[in-house]
Amino acid sequence: MIIVEKIKKYKIQFITLLLYIATLIYNSDIFMNSVKTTGGYLKEMIEILPAVFVISGLITVWVPRETITKYFGKNSGIKGNLLSMILGSVSAGPIYAAFPIAFSLINKGASILNVVILISTWAVIKVPMLLVESKFLGIDFMAARTILTIPSIFVIGYITSKVVKKEDVLQSEENMNISGRTIIEIDSVLPHFNCGGCGYSKCKDYAKSIVENGEETNKCKVGGQKVTEQINEIMQINDDVQDVSE
Amino acid sequence: MSTIILLIVTAIFFIWSLIKDKEKSIESLRLAKKLFQSTFIEVFALMALVALFLSWIPDSVIKNLLGNSNEILSVLFGAGIGTITIIPAFVAFPLAGSLLKSGANLIAIAAFLSTLTMVGFATMPIEIRYFGKKFTFVRNAVSIVAAVFIALGMGVIL
Repeated sequence: MIIVEKIKKYKIQFITLLLYIATLIYNSDIFMNSVKTTGGYLKEMIEILPAVFVISGLITVWVPRETITKYFGKNSGIKGNLLSMILGSVSAGPIYAAFPIAFSLINKGASILNVVILISTWAVIKVPMLLVESKFLGIDFMAARTILTIPSIFVIGYITSKVVKKEDVLQSEENMNISGRTIIEIDSVLPHFNCGGCGYSKCKDYAKSIVENGEETNKCKVGGQKVTEQINEIMQINDDVQDVSE
Repeated sequence: MSTIILLIVTAIFFIWSLIKDKEKSIESLRLAKKLFQSTFIEVFALMALVALFLSWIPDSVIKNLLGNSNEILSVLFGAGIGTITIIPAFVAFPLAGSLLKSGANLIAIAAFLSTLTMVGFATMPIEIRYFGKKFTFVRNAVSIVAAVFIALGMGVIL
C-alpha cells in the first residue's frame, strides 16, 4: 500500500523514469541527448535556485509587512508597478526562480498586479538576454519585441488581477506549512524588545502562543494598537486558508 | 554574470542577517529549505521530461511548423511549441536565429520566444503549488494570448 501511495505522490517522476528507460531500449542516441539536455537544466537550477530560496527566506523573516504593502501593495500605484518591473529585470534566472520570491512578496501584502508584473518581467526582460537576442535575431527584432512586450505585461497583470482575487491565491497554499509561516509573520511585526510585557519572555514565544494556543492579540504593550491590528490581519488571512483546506 | 551578482547579493544579505540576529537567520534557512523541498524534485522531473520530448522531436519538424505558409497558423504553432517546451534563453536565441535563416516565419519565431519564457506547461505544477490553480491558469492563458498579439504586432512593425 505504501508503494502505491509513493507512486501516486511521485507520479510525474515515475512516468519520466519509465519513459527514459523505454527510450534507452528503443534508441540510445535520443536517450543520451536527453540526459545531456537535462544535465544543462540541472546546472542552471543548481546555480540559481538555492540563492533564490535563501533570499525568499530572508525577505519573509526580515522585511516588515508594512514595507512590502507600501511598495508593492494595492495602493502603491505606478511606482509599485515600476519597482516590480525593475526588480524582475535585474534578477537572474528563469521564470521558476521568480515564483518563490513572488510568493514571499504576496504573503506580505504585495498586489496580484505587481506580482504578475514581477514574474513576467523576470521571464522576458533581461539585459544580458536582450543582448543575445539582438545578436542572433537582429536589433530591430529585439527592440520591436521589447517595446511591444512592456505594455503587454501591464495588460497581462491587469487582466489577471481582475479575474483572480488575492484570497484565491492565499487560500490555495494547502501544501505549505501554514502555521509555521504564520508564526514567522507575526514575529516579524512584533517590536522585538523582548520586554516581557505580554507575559512571555520573548516576542517569538508570544507569536507562537497566538497561533498555537489562540492567545489574545492585544497583549503587546510596546507595539500597542497598531501591532494588534497587524496581527489580526495576519490571523484573519490564515483563518480563511485553514477553512478551505479542511 | 548575473548569476554571480545574484550569489554575491545573497551572500551579503545573509551575512548581514547573521550579524544582526542569528536565530532569525536560521529561521530563514529553514524556510528556504522548505521552499526548496517543495520545488526541486518536481521541477527536475519536469525538466527531464521536456528534455526527452525535445530529443524525440527532430528540429526539422519544428522548422516545418514555424515555416508554415499560413502565417496565422505558424504563429499558433510557435506559441504552442513555446508553451510546451522550456529552453534556456542562451540556447533558445541561437536556435531561433537558425530557424529564421532556414525559412521560419518571423512572427512565428516571435510568438515562440515570448511563450517560451513567459508560459510553461513544465513549470505549471510549481506555479500551482505557490499560487493556486486559478492564478496559474489565468496568468498562463492571458500570457499566451498576449504573446500572439505581440507577434502579430511585430509583423506590422517589421
